[in-house]
Amino acid sequence: MRRELTLSTAPIHEATLVAARKMSAGMGAAVYFTGVVRGTEESQTIAAIDYETFREMAEHQFHKLFDEMERRWPTIESARLVHRLGVVRVNEPSLWLEIIAPHRPEAFAAAQWLIDEMKRTVPIWKRPQP
Amino acid sequence: MIIRIQFWSYFKDLTGCAEATEELPLGATIDQLLQRLHVRFPKLVAMKNSTLIAVGVEYQNRSHVLREGDTVSLFPPVQGG
Repeated sequence: MRRELTLSTAPIHEATLVAARKMSAGMGAAVYFTGVVRGTEESQTIAAIDYETFREMAEHQFHKLFDEMERRWPTIESARLVHRLGVVRVNEPSLWLEIIAPHRPEAFAAAQWLIDEMKRTVPIWKRPQP
Repeated sequence: MIIRIQFWSYFKDLTGCAEATEELPLGATIDQLLQRLHVRFPKLVAMKNSTLIAVGVEYQNRSHVLREGDTVSLFPPVQGG
C-alpha cells in the first residue's frame, strides 16, 4: 500500500491534492474526507483552532495505523493523509484524507476506521482560539 | 537513573514547563514516576485518570519498568481532526 503522510502548518489545498491522485487500472474507488474547523467548540463561538503535535510520536502512530489498515484491507492501493498544525481558522480544512481501493466498501470502511483510530491514538491536540 | 519527562498540550500549563527530569531507583516503574510528579506538580493529580503516557513514541501502562535514558511523555486525551 502506498502511503503519504503530511503534518504541516501550510494550508490544505484540496484541488491540488485531488489533481495529484494516482490510481492504477484495477482501482475503482477514491474516497475523500475533509475535516473543517467548526465555528463552535463546546457551545462557545471560536475563530480558530491551534493544533499542536508531538511530531515523532504522531508520525510513528500514523504509520502503525497504516500498517494495521493494510492488514485489515489488503486491497487498498494507497492512503494519503494531511493534518494541518498551528492556527487553522473557522471554515478552513484541518484534515484531508484520500483512500484508493478497488471498490467503495473497503475504501469507505478504511477511511472511517483511520479517522476514528487517529482520534484515539495520534498525539495531536487542539486549543480553541476565541 | 535519570528520566526525562516531556509535557504536552495543556499539561505544560498545569506544570509550568515543557520538560523536567527525575532521578529514580533502577527498576522504577511509570507508576513510581507519576507518584513523584504528582507531588512536584500537584495540578496533574486532577488529570491522573485521563493522563496518557508514552515512553519514546510508544504508549505504555503504569506498570512499565523504566530504563536509564528513557524519555517519558505525559499528555491529555488526543484530539486530532
